[in-house]
Amino acid sequence: MFKNYIKIAWRNLFKNRVFTAANIVGLTLAFAVALLLTMTALFELSYDQFHVNKASTYQVYYSNQTPKGSDISTANPVPFAPALKEEVPGVKHISRALSENALVSYGDNDFNLDAEYVDADFFSIFSYPTLAGNNNKPIQDQNSITLTEEASKKLFGTTDAIGKTVKVLIGKDEKPFKVSSILKSIPDNSSVSFDIAIPFDSHWEYKENIDIWDARNHPVYVQLEDGVSKSQFEKSTVDFTLLHNEELINNMKRDGAQPDINGNYAQLGLLSYIDKRFANFNSGVLNVKRTFPYMILGIAFLIIFIACANFVNMNIALGEKRLKEIGMRKTLGAVKGQLFGQFWLESLLVFAIAIVLALVLSNLLINPYKTLFNTNATFANLMTPTILGSFLLGILLVTLVTGGYPALLLSKLNTLKALKGKWELGKNGVRNALIVVQFVIAIVLITGTLVFQGQIQFMRNKNLGFNKEQVVSIPLNGKKDSYRVVELLRNELQGNGNILAVSGSDNNLGRGKDGSISSSVLGFEYKGRIVHSNVLTVDYDYAKTLDLQLVEGRMFSKEYSADSLSMVINEAMVKELNEKENPLATRVYFDEDSVAYNVIGVLKDFNHQDVSKSIEPLTFFLDRDYELYYAYVKVAPADMAKSFDAIKNAWQKIEPNAEFLGSFLDENIDRTFRREKTMATIVTAGSVLGIVLSCIGLFAMSLLVVAQRTKEIGVRKVIGASTSSITILLTKDFLKLVGIAFVIGTPISWYVLDQWLQDYAFRVPLSIWFFIGAGLLIALLTVGARTMKAAAANPVKSLRTE
Amino acid sequence: MLLQLRNIFKWVQLGGQRIFLLKDINLEVQEGEFISIMGPSGSGKSTLLNVIGMLDTFDEGEYDFLNESVHSLKEKYRSNLYKEYIGFVFQSYHLLDDLTVEENLEMPLLYKKIKSSERKALVADMLDRFSIVGKKDLFPTQLSGGQQQLVGVARALIGKPKLILADEPTGNLNSQQSEEIMQLFKKLNKEEGVTIIQVTHSEKNAAYGSRIINLLDGRKI
Repeated sequence: MFKNYIKIAWRNLFKNRVFTAANIVGLTLAFAVALLLTMTALFELSYDQFHVNKASTYQVYYSNQTPKGSDISTANPVPFAPALKEEVPGVKHISRALSENALVSYGDNDFNLDAEYVDADFFSIFSYPTLAGNNNKPIQDQNSITLTEEASKKLFGTTDAIGKTVKVLIGKDEKPFKVSSILKSIPDNSSVSFDIAIPFDSHWEYKENIDIWDARNHPVYVQLEDGVSKSQFEKSTVDFTLLHNEELINNMKRDGAQPDINGNYAQLGLLSYIDKRFANFNSGVLNVKRTFPYMILGIAFLIIFIACANFVNMNIALGEKRLKEIGMRKTLGAVKGQLFGQFWLESLLVFAIAIVLALVLSNLLINPYKTLFNTNATFANLMTPTILGSFLLGILLVTLVTGGYPALLLSKLNTLKALKGKWELGKNGVRNALIVVQFVIAIVLITGTLVFQGQIQFMRNKNLGFNKEQVVSIPLNGKKDSYRVVELLRNELQGNGNILAVSGSDNNLGRGKDGSISSSVLGFEYKGRIVHSNVLTVDYDYAKTLDLQLVEGRMFSKEYSADSLSMVINEAMVKELNEKENPLATRVYFDEDSVAYNVIGVLKDFNHQDVSKSIEPLTFFLDRDYELYYAYVKVAPADMAKSFDAIKNAWQKIEPNAEFLGSFLDENIDRTFRREKTMATIVTAGSVLGIVLSCIGLFAMSLLVVAQRTKEIGVRKVIGASTSSITILLTKDFLKLVGIAFVIGTPISWYVLDQWLQDYAFRVPLSIWFFIGAGLLIALLTVGARTMKAAAANPVKSLRTE
Repeated sequence: MLLQLRNIFKWVQLGGQRIFLLKDINLEVQEGEFISIMGPSGSGKSTLLNVIGMLDTFDEGEYDFLNESVHSLKEKYRSNLYKEYIGFVFQSYHLLDDLTVEENLEMPLLYKKIKSSERKALVADMLDRFSIVGKKDLFPTQLSGGQQQLVGVARALIGKPKLILADEPTGNLNSQQSEEIMQLFKKLNKEEGVTIIQVTHSEKNAAYGSRIINLLDGRKI
């Protein structure tokens, strides 16, 4: 029996090979893409899940009420962590963790490593197992460090490195450290990753900040005692926070801040460590959103849905051709169950082929996929019993429903009617519902694509207020004094006519090849209230190099010797200071006993941070006590590649041991919306696939309709109806469905996209044209597919089938 | 007695009016009979045949088949009953185009859950008996109408039914082919004692039978 079913199934599939191929192609594409997307989503969701103590591990954040509303900071002062452990019960382990690049040398070679300055508890809280050395205490003492496998190989060429001594540049001095253990590679799905872990108290700023409560520069992670809950602990820190931030809180009260619901002006909060990757503090409150992975899962689901809807519709359409077979089999004694089994088996066969092909295809695509979508996800992430199990169950369920529905429909047919070839489906409720849902999905995906791409183009083309095309920024990652490096660069490039200006600052614009983004904010009292400003230390020629516009006054200049006590501010800062009348008369005392700083110039606002953020107040200093971290070189528009090479050569001459990581600013800006680009690529790919699959579906639909209305079409044609009038007749119903889908889909995608755009301070307006465009596209596709089919129908043939 | 129909009524509701397809049909069929049902188009011949073959239901009356009350059986048992005892032959053969002659013959046996070796033997017997061994690997579309109907009859016979129901078995055939099929029926009836009920328009074909039932507007006359 089974053999017979397989044989029939095979012949049937072969006989309808066009549709079989369409189905297999559709399902294969859908499964393959869904597999890759699911992999990505599960990878995202698996972030930090490998830590054994994840349930009791938290990141501490500090939220305080300012006159402008609540504000959250994850950075903490140096004395904070020891004090918290000392003064508040319930802390099992606590560790500070400061991420910074460290210049590590071994022998004659320098390496720029990603360092994490941590306390001893760090390795008790987190699970970073060692390859060699003490698993519980990878850092033995204040003079030891631990390296990852990769870093060890990079430094020594081997992982057998315990006991070796390396030198780390701490501030301006090199300090020797002994390697006391080697860590296994840090998993890709770890939100904290590093090459080298160094004792926290070795950090160059440690000593000067040891008792300073108002300088915050590092995150703190805490593991609570068993049985201590998050909210319980948060409550018990109220007095602690009050005690250590008294002055700040008083200032806030004086400036008009409102207390939060619990009547506090400052409050410690705990962010579950597994939520770290999905946490967002931009709006001043903690917001944990797993939008990205769920969106990907959603798209995977939608794509599978479209393909399955196609499968159902197509199988019903093809069932029409098999009515005689169904009737005959019933006459020969087949019962419902047997027929159901037979048709279901055919579906299973198609699904099995599609799934096997999808596995092959997704394996082939995985590498380009990983590059394109910028993910480290691998199938290894999926290889847990639970995931594999639910995946199998999911496929079985999809197959059961999708294969089962047409099978059920066909096996239920009345014997005699089937024998006479009469299709008695009558109402097309299920079919129409499936089509409407398909169209809704298509509309949501298409508008999503249009809006995402629109927003990215908008961000890319937005005038940021500085010259991003012609400026190269170079992370200063060598050993030499940064001001000297900038000066040497200037000298080295002087003769080159294509180099227009050279400058430096302590922060980058966009995200450079070193991958770091940082900001430093300074709060001080001005005319009896606290004001905040981002601060930037710059070298001479900063505005000239970046083409920043001066609104008033002047920039720093070598002609004025007192410029180290001057400051230049941006327009947003003028507003913050509330000195719109005459900003150049502003004098600021940062400490009660400090000297006055004079504002000498006002720069037009430019996007000094992420494009998604609004422009914050910014103050520029020229202060040689603070290091520069980036050099900027402006090149002429002609021969940019050549100029870039010239800069690279100059760099290699000046810092032969340090890697050249220079990049144009427009690349850096692009890198800051990598996530958006990934999302846009996924949505675009999803919607293209969705459209392709929907087209296959429409094709199947047109077959079904023509099959159902063969006689009607034939009669109409014989009576003299033209092809176009038949097309209109047949298309009308579909366009109605498109209309319904449009009405349902538009508000859904409007809402979703509007929510998404709210995260951006500068955003593309949500125009009705995005939606009309999507609707028209779908309507056009519908009519196209329908027209083709109707025009091809031959009246005599369609009559003869009766 | 093979089967008995008592006061069978079948109707459709049309605008509040009952249109009778079968009206008060009483019929007894003994084993070994060869019955021809005749009547003009629309007189209910095929409907009656389908009711006897349990492919169609009726609205009123009683139907006993081998002392089982068909009218009170569930579909599954009914299906068991007819797949065991009844073979069908159709005017348009209704062979499955996707299967070869051999596979077409094998199909009823599959639904009877007969073992593979036994199936092979039965099919081989049947091919032999109808002298179509040479055509066993052909598909129905590769055969003439007469040959197709031959396969149709063979398929109806392979399950060793007690009753063969034939709905205008020669309707699509030329006179010579008709003659052959009718001779075959006669032989089956005489030599093997298979009961046959056929629907036909042709007086000549009807003459092969032992009894003729005439229908008009759903009534026996």
